[in-house]
This record gives sequence, C-alpha cells and structure tokens, in this order.
Amino acid sequence: MKVFALFLLLISGMYAFAQTSISGRITEKSGDPLLGVNVFIEGTYDGATTNMEGNFRIPIEGSDSITLVATFIGFHDYKIRLKPDINHELTIILKEKISKLNAVVITAGSFDASDESKRVVLKSLDIVTTAGATADIPGALNTLPGTQTVGETGRLFVRGGEGRETKTFIDGMIVHNEYSPSAPNTPGRSRFSPFMFKGMSFSTGGYSAEYGQALSSALILQSKDIAELSRTDLSFMSVGVDAAHTQSWENSSFSGKIQYTNLTPYFKLAKQNIPWDKAPEEYNGNFAYRLKTSKTGLLKFYTNVSSSRMDLFEEEIGNPDVIHPIGVANDYFYFNVSYRELVSEKWGVKTGFSFTESRDMLSRGAESIDDEISGRHGKLVLDYTHSDRINLKFGGELLVRKGDEVLTNTAGSLTNDFDEYISSGFVEAETFASSALAFKTGMRVEHNSLTGDSFLSPRVSSAYKTGEKSQVSVAWGIFSQTPSTRITYFVNDADPEISEHYIANYQWQGEGRSFRAEIYHKDYSQLTRYQDEFAPSGYRFDGEGFAQGLDLFWRDTKTLNNTDYWVSYSYLNTERNYRNYPGAFTPSFVSAHNFSLVGKRFIESIRSQVGLTYSYASHRRYNDRNSDKFLSGRTPDYHDLSFNISYLYSNQIIVHAMVNNVLGINNIYGYEYASEPDLNGYYAGKPITPPARRFVFVGVFITLAKNKSISQLPNL
Amino acid sequence: MKKTVLTVIGVICAAIVFANGGQYEKAMAKNIPAMFQAGDAESLLGAINQLNRVGDAEADKWEPYYYAAFGYIRMIAMTESAEEKDKYLDQALEIIKKGETIKPADSELESLRGYVHMMRVTIDPATRGMQYSGLAFNSFNKAIALDANNARAHYLLGRMQFGTAQFMGNGDGGACESFAKAKSLFESGSNTENQFAPSWGLDSTKEAMQQMCEG
Repeated sequence: MKVFALFLLLISGMYAFAQTSISGRITEKSGDPLLGVNVFIEGTYDGATTNMEGNFRIPIEGSDSITLVATFIGFHDYKIRLKPDINHELTIILKEKISKLNAVVITAGSFDASDESKRVVLKSLDIVTTAGATADIPGALNTLPGTQTVGETGRLFVRGGEGRETKTFIDGMIVHNEYSPSAPNTPGRSRFSPFMFKGMSFSTGGYSAEYGQALSSALILQSKDIAELSRTDLSFMSVGVDAAHTQSWENSSFSGKIQYTNLTPYFKLAKQNIPWDKAPEEYNGNFAYRLKTSKTGLLKFYTNVSSSRMDLFEEEIGNPDVIHPIGVANDYFYFNVSYRELVSEKWGVKTGFSFTESRDMLSRGAESIDDEISGRHGKLVLDYTHSDRINLKFGGELLVRKGDEVLTNTAGSLTNDFDEYISSGFVEAETFASSALAFKTGMRVEHNSLTGDSFLSPRVSSAYKTGEKSQVSVAWGIFSQTPSTRITYFVNDADPEISEHYIANYQWQGEGRSFRAEIYHKDYSQLTRYQDEFAPSGYRFDGEGFAQGLDLFWRDTKTLNNTDYWVSYSYLNTERNYRNYPGAFTPSFVSAHNFSLVGKRFIESIRSQVGLTYSYASHRRYNDRNSDKFLSGRTPDYHDLSFNISYLYSNQIIVHAMVNNVLGINNIYGYEYASEPDLNGYYAGKPITPPARRFVFVGVFITLAKNKSISQLPNL
Repeated sequence: MKKTVLTVIGVICAAIVFANGGQYEKAMAKNIPAMFQAGDAESLLGAINQLNRVGDAEADKWEPYYYAAFGYIRMIAMTESAEEKDKYLDQALEIIKKGETIKPADSELESLRGYVHMMRVTIDPATRGMQYSGLAFNSFNKAIALDANNARAHYLLGRMQFGTAQFMGNGDGGACESFAKAKSLFESGSNTENQFAPSWGLDSTKEAMQQMCEG
C-alpha cells in the first residue's frame, strides 16, 4: 500500500512537471506576428510552431535547466536559458537578418544586372537579347538612361562625360583599351563577350571608393565562377566563325573560345559608304580557368589575345581626287588573375593582378601613329564584417601605365612617352541602421608619380526604404582621372581632371515592374585647355564645366503577355570650357534628349524570341567652319529602329538574325571639313554617317553537350 | 492491488520506451505524412519545424532533413511572391547540405537538389532556363549515377525532359522512357531495411505517364 502511495506520488509529480509549459508570442520588431517560427528546446524533439497570431505553447518535463531556441528564415536565432519548473510566458522579438534579400540597396547612380540577385532591374541575358545592341555590352547599356547616343564611336558616353571617362573593371581589375579598334568614325565594340559575366554594375555616377581613375562612370563586371557543365559551342556567322569549349571538373573549370572575324564577304554583299581595301579582320582568343582552392576560396585566371587589321581609302574632303590610304591595326593582350577567400567568419580577402598590352598602329598616307600602352594593376582588398549591420572594406592598389608613341610624317618622326605610377588606398564603411536605412562612407587617396600630387576623393551615399517596394537614395563624391593619353604624352605632369557628383534617386520595384527616376548635378574642374592640341606649351589646366539632368526608366515584364519592354529617357544640360573652346559650350557629343524603347517577346508558335528597339536622340552640335560662331551647326535628330529574332530550330541549334536601322534613316552624327578653304573662301564639308544605312547579321549557333538537353536557348 | 501496481509500472515502462527508443520512429511516422498532406503554410511549417528538430537532435539521421527540405519545396506553392519562393528554395538547399554532412553523395538528396533547381526554372523560365535547367539535369544524372535504381531520380528526370521538349515543341525528350523506368523500379521492390527512406513517387509517375505519354 505504501509502495502504491509512493507510485502515486511519483506519477503525480511527473504529472505536475508535465503541467509546466512555456508559452508566448513571437513578433518582428514592428510588432507584427511571425507565422511558422520553430520554437524548441535545444537538443530535444520538443517544440512548437507559431500560429497566425505568433503564439506558441510547449509543455515541458524534467527539471534540468533548458535552452529555448527560436529560429525562422531571414531572422537571427534567439536563445534563452530557462528553469523548467515554473510556467513561462514570453514575448520574443526576433531580429531580422540583414541580407541581400531584404536589405535596402544603394541605387543612386547604379544599374545592376545579375543572374543571382532577384532585385535587379536588368538580367545579364538582357544584354544579348536587346535588339540593336549586337550582343555588345556597351550597346545594350546605351539603351539605359544616363547614356548618350554617339553612334560614330559605339562607346559609353555618360552624363556629359566623354567616352574615355567611363572605365571598365573586370573582377575589380582595370581594363585599358576595352574597345576593339575601328575605322575612323565607325563604332567599335567591347572586346569582352557578355556571356563571360555573371553580373555587372553600370554606374552612371557616385560609385564606390574602391574604383578610381574614372571621371564619369564605372562599368564593373564580375566574371562567372566555376562552370558546372561541360559543353562545346560552334557559331557560323555572316561576319565570321567561332568555336568554344567548356570543361567542368569537380573543383575547377576551363573555358576557351577562338574567334575569327572577317567582314570581306559581308561587305561584298552589302554596299558600304567606305571604300575598303581590306575589310576588318580579327583573330581573337579568350581563355578562362577557375579553381576552387577551398570551400570558400576561388582563384580565377582570364586572358584575352587578339589581333586585328583593316585598310581603307579616304577621299580628301573638297578634293575627292586625292585619296589617302588609311591603315588601322591593333595587337592586344589582357591577362587577369584574381583570388578571393574568406579567411575567417569575419574577414575576407580579395586580391588580383591585371596586365594589358595594347599596340595601335594607325597610318594615313605618309603619316602614322604607333602607340603602345601597357598597364599593370595590382590590388588587395580586405573585407571585415563586424555584424550584418557593419561592414568595412579597405585596401590598396597600384596602377602602372606606360605609354610609348612614335608620330611619323614626311618631316620625320617624334617620340613621346610617359610612365605613370598611381598608388592608392581606400576605406569604405557600409552601415545599416536597419534593413531600411543604409549608409556608405568612403575615402580614397591617390598619389600620382608624374605630378607628385596626392588627391583625396571622399564618397558618401545612403538609401532609405520608403515602402515595401520603394526607396530613395542619394550619393555625393569626388572623382578624378588623368587627362587623355594625347595630353599625357605631351605634358607628363598634366593635372588630373576632377568631377564632383550629386545624385538623388527614387526607385519603385513591384512584381515584374520597376520605375526609376534620378536627378543629378556634376561639376568639372581642372580640365585641360589649349589653343592648339599640338602645342603643349600653351596647355592650361583650369577648364571647367557642369552637367545636370534627369533620367527616367520604366520596365514592365508583366502587363503584356510574354512581352518585356523598357523605356528610358534622359535629359542632359551640360557645358564645358575645355580643349580649344573659346568659352563654355555644349560639346559636340551631347544631345539634350535621349529616348529608347526596347521590347522583347517570345512567340511560342514560331519558337522564336523577337526584339525591337527604337532609339531617339535630339540634335547634336558641330563646328561649322563656314560660320564665325563656335559649335553653331546642328545635326538632324537621330532615329534608329532595330530588330532581331532568335529561332530555336532544336535543342542544339539556334538561328539568330538582326537588322539595325530597319527603316534606313540617314543619320548624321556631325560634319568634317576640309583643312583649307576653296578659292571662294568656303570650307567643303562632309557629313559623318554610319558606314552603311543598315547592318544585317545572320548566325547559326550550335551546342554540343554530352547532355543533349542543354542548349544555347539560354543564350538568347 | 498487485495488478494495479503492475499496470502502473507497465504504463511507466511504456512511457520510458516511448520517450527514448520509439521517439524517433514515432516522430517520423507522424511528421512525414503530415508534411506531404499539409494544405496550408501553418501546418506545413509545423511539420517542417518538427522534422528539423528531429534532424538536429539525432546526429546520424539524414532522413528528417530530406523531408524537411521536401517540405520547403512544397512551401513555394503557398506563396505568390517570387522572392519568397526563392527564400524557401534557398532554405531547402541549406537543409539538403545538412543532410549531406551525415550522408555524403546520396542519390536521394541529390535528386532533391535537382528538384530545387527544377522549381527555380518554373519561377522565371525565360531568364532562368539556362542556368537552372542545366543544373537540374546535372543533379538528376548524378543521382542516377550514384544509384541507378533510384526511381525518384528517373521520375524527376522525366519531368525535366518533358518540360524542355515541350518548350522546344518536339516530342517528349525521352521523358516517357524515364517514367517507364521509374515505374518498373517502383514496382520491383522497395527499401525494407529503412522504413523512413524516401518512397514517394509511384502515383506521381503514373499520373505523369497518363498525362504526358498516353493519348
């Protein structure tokens, strides 16, 4: 009987233990309840899941003190030690993890394209599918606001800046001479294929202190990591052929691509305005090797080798019987190695080295320029993550640039050179007051061996989420860049050009739709002025200018079925007093209004993706030599309608065709004039136009893969 | 009296067995079907959370993680937002990796990884086709290489093959062959040693064959 009583006691004791419980409510900081939080006693099966109201209840047994854990996707784990012998009523507030998914992103000045991040305005694929862009990165970016249509160069002219004021970086390392050579007044293309990159950030101003030597804009490209699939691709195009192979191993991959381009057959079929002696011909090789050195370490090698040549004839303006043979040749080598590793949970390291060797040989009759630029860039960046709210990045880099040129004419030859060492250090802190408010504060210091001067570039930006889908962002910074190589050759210690950017941005991103509006103001100083470019003794480094404007962007992938379109508009008001300008004038590469409409649609019935792009630019100025007034000429407005189509013949074969300037509009970019007036004192002029009204391209792309289901489809 | 005492002792003993030895079996037996049958986010998350707790408490069991990851894949049907769907798929991959620390190079876990990639494609086929369809095929082929008798790997491969072939507008891409292979593997026998090894898929395979291969 006694024994039984003991048992009863024991059981009732156990029962009493079972009676205690932990209950409570789990919310976000805002007080909103969280549904589905996993609340449990560490090391046991015991736990609960919060309901719609954020409530939970866990009965507990035992008498040892326990640890209660609450975990939920996107939030920091919460832990608390509790005594089990009493009831607990808890109110738990989980702290949101600031991650790529929820954190506000500073968007002032920058357009990001990526395959990974879901919140970007563009995808990498957009570069390839944009009609009129001819699968050229700058070509596609030229449909974004902030850029200027300058058809005769094919380069990125950003917010009143010249083409050379946009710098390209691959995996953080600078690239010199990133455009393939082209005949005078014909567009060049980027040397780098859009397929190489997994992400890009096109900054039209206010970029990070990590990047220097770019006055107006930075194009920051991230190359792909280890390829996960092996494949072979062959392309047969109206302009040439190429073959590519990717081999993937467990912890490494190799990709190689060999291209041969020759425009002779195309030019025979399609009449050109330029009398070619030898149409452009290019050999190009791209090789990439990636090696995973540890769980978090990645080593990347990339190299690009190319050689190109073209010859043509130029009629002397006003005197067409005199014909000058022109030759353009270029040999190019670029090598880039980068390494990144997480040294510990808090410390990351990124380092790299790049090497560029580019030789341009231009000749016009008896005159020639042989220009050899060689660049080296070494960089080390350390990244310290204090918490998900504070991140510190700092590093140093050395940019070495050597130039050697030989200018030859009938009178003899002249040799110029420079040897520039720019050493710099930067530090940048990114802080999140919350997932809705972020600040980036940076400072960059650069020392140039040629001028002996040091230059400080402070940069600040901030973003605030005004709603679930909207945010505002602002940026300010000072940027500098060595003047053009032409000027540096003549005056080695030319003062750097300086710009100051002020940017305010509003962005709204809904499901499948996004809108951006940005206003900016830029001030330029220390621009080079001269009477005569070839009389360096007259150089003065006190030129000034400004640029201001409005950029608008709307993209909608949702409203129209299977159709994706975007609209860009830029207004630009800019003046500069530089070069040989007799005062402050709007430069000839500027058009006040630029507009683009890009549409893409997949038509299932014909298994084709079609694209249409319309671009408009208002008039540009040119210097009419028959007028007393400087830059008084006005070109007509620019219009272009381009079309492309990609037809999926099968899993392995895609046929791609495109036509630029379908309507055959006669666009005029400006005028060139005879160097001497005729007998009546009149300077003969000649319009600068595209080499042909339309450009047509046809290509067949074939993919061979072990796994037959992989196709280039994706590549569309 | 003695009888009562014995009964009480018996109950206590049963409770102890329950609390220790049978705990894993009981939890799995309850939560695996709960995960498959949950019709709303609350009950599905409840099952996932319990499976995760079991996985965390047992050092040598990969199965709870397998079903928890499967649960997260099911979660994408509970939300409209692409961002949320990606969040759940990211979480599924995390859980699969946890399972692989216990059982590396496992055909079932690899198939599930392919399933995650396949679901990524469905969120945004136009821009994700390239990256994720290749990855999905890669995972399914790898899973089959690890265990040629994994019926689920064949079934999932078939679904991917069919989807791609439909997109291209030609044939079944070998899908019906894969489904037939899966069906025969399902019918030829099941894993008897491990009662919680993945066993789903026969009904889905039959349904797929009916929809895609007959008529």
